[in-house]
Amino acid sequence: MRSRHVLGVTRRVFRGFKHDRRALALLLIAPILAMTVFGIAFAGEITNVDVIVVNEDTGFVPLPGMPTVKVSEMFVDNLDAKVLNIERMTDLDAAVKKVRDGDSWAVIHFNANFTSAIMGGNSTVVEVRADKSNAQVYAAIVTQMKDAVEKTMEERKLSLPVSFDVSNAVYGKDAEFSDFLIPGVITFAIFLLTTLLTLLTFTTERVGRTLDRVLSTPATELEIVLGYALAFGVIGTFQAIVLVSYGVVAFHILIEGSLLLAFLITALLAMTSQALGILLSSAAHTEAQAVQMLPVIILPVFLLSGIFWPLEAMPSWLRPFSYALPPTWAAKGLRNIMIRGWGMAEVWPQVVALVVFLFLFLALATLSLRRKQ
Amino acid sequence: MTAIVVRGLCKRFGDIVAVDSLDLAIEHGEVYGLLGPNGAGKTTVIRMLVGLARPTSGEVLVLGRPVGEKALAGSIGYMPQELALYETLTVDENLDLYAELFEMQRDRVDVRKTEVLRFVALEERRASIVHTLSGGMRHRVSLAVSLLHEPELLLLDEPTVGVDPELRASFWENFGHLKNQGRTVVITTHYMDEARHCDRIGLMHRGRLVAEGPPAEVVRRAGATDLEEAFLRLVSGGARAAGAAPPAKEGVRA
Repeated sequence: MRSRHVLGVTRRVFRGFKHDRRALALLLIAPILAMTVFGIAFAGEITNVDVIVVNEDTGFVPLPGMPTVKVSEMFVDNLDAKVLNIERMTDLDAAVKKVRDGDSWAVIHFNANFTSAIMGGNSTVVEVRADKSNAQVYAAIVTQMKDAVEKTMEERKLSLPVSFDVSNAVYGKDAEFSDFLIPGVITFAIFLLTTLLTLLTFTTERVGRTLDRVLSTPATELEIVLGYALAFGVIGTFQAIVLVSYGVVAFHILIEGSLLLAFLITALLAMTSQALGILLSSAAHTEAQAVQMLPVIILPVFLLSGIFWPLEAMPSWLRPFSYALPPTWAAKGLRNIMIRGWGMAEVWPQVVALVVFLFLFLALATLSLRRKQ
Repeated sequence: MTAIVVRGLCKRFGDIVAVDSLDLAIEHGEVYGLLGPNGAGKTTVIRMLVGLARPTSGEVLVLGRPVGEKALAGSIGYMPQELALYETLTVDENLDLYAELFEMQRDRVDVRKTEVLRFVALEERRASIVHTLSGGMRHRVSLAVSLLHEPELLLLDEPTVGVDPELRASFWENFGHLKNQGRTVVITTHYMDEARHCDRIGLMHRGRLVAEGPPAEVVRRAGATDLEEAFLRLVSGGARAAGAAPPAKEGVRA
């Protein structure tokens, strides 16, 4: 193997980007745009959910002459006004109608004996008549109510039969959904753009016969593939640097572990993706056919890689397919580094998996070039 | 001395026979024209000589070596029909890539770039991005790339297709210079009038060599007055009955 051949191809790729500003913009601006969209659209907290409180609680008078105590009101006060937009109504049927009409998400109904039942040590019920058509909004309402119950009981020095102390998290104490999401966005952007660009570039090389001309030189197929791998490995790392920096500034993402290790993972992913792009290009006879392959690349990765939702949310029989996709390992590795703060001693399975994918795809890409007509 | 020896060369693509039992012997320093209409199998032959296509059967020796050996690549200059240039790179950058891939001595690269660009009269456009050049200029760049590493053997696939008559004349003048430098030049074309520039020609039809020799001799042997008539006589019956297009007249593509 001659480094001159490899570096010659690498330099050719970089020079191509130097003159092709659109491709360069696609590599840098598109991931930032993707992160912005996903970061804002998916990672934001749910706020301003319209709910109606119908409070029929008559309260409890501890001793004659003392003011009436209404635990229900304490409970309502403990609901986060940022998350829930509370409207008061007295007519339960009218309130339910508003939910039915789509003007509100839920009715929180306290019965007349709510406080007296609690004070008397009996159990009671808060009735929630909710529109569950949006699971995430519904989950936000339920979470708010649970939090408000715990807070109210604590304030009243009343104890719940069971309580959970989750203040001492092992990892990700301050993690938010964006911390989970952004490593996925980085993975998806690098995988998609690198595969897409290599697929289109190599299809153009095949159609325009530049590949034939390069293959007619003393350079071997492996040297050509490695030249591309080196170029896209560097580009992938650069994309990761830009994206992580943007994530820190714009979304305050957690970076608990080594950034160098994170960049190693993105470089491995980028090189694997470019080899996949070369491999796929062997099945395309025109650029149009190459573009038609995009759904084949995007859909499985989008749905199965655990990039946007956890693998645990998938049926167990689907998970082996997830582990057959390189982005699954890259996203997992990045999350382990960025959120858990793990080092090489812990993330080596993800690194090894990516290295195995890299060698496999490089070999297949080389064979696809070697396959003569 | 023989630069190319081809014996019993066959190439099939499924049921289609692209090249059928081809025998060739091309001497060093010769300008050899492989002529024939579109679909005759010329490009397939060139691709097998370069090592880009694998023969179904037969033997190919180029410069005394079996084709496909990477060591051979440095001695061959290949110009594909499609020009095969990196459109977003400058002329200089295209040449730089091949200087690296052909492992040229670094102190020779600039000298050679200047020589080949002067040879194709494009010295002043070396910093231009290829896609900004005219079609004729791109043809010239493509030829310059093939010549950069001073190959012993040039395999040029339809280098004059889509080229205006003036540039065609200039190309053939260039090929004459290359012959004078002792290089072997194998050119495919479907322009019959270009045969007069060749030392010898091989007329191909449906994958087979139907005639070979110096152009005048091929015409004489066929009892024709020119090469086009000779070709039609040689393939008469078969080609006409099948409705095959005759090769192009001067400046006209078949």
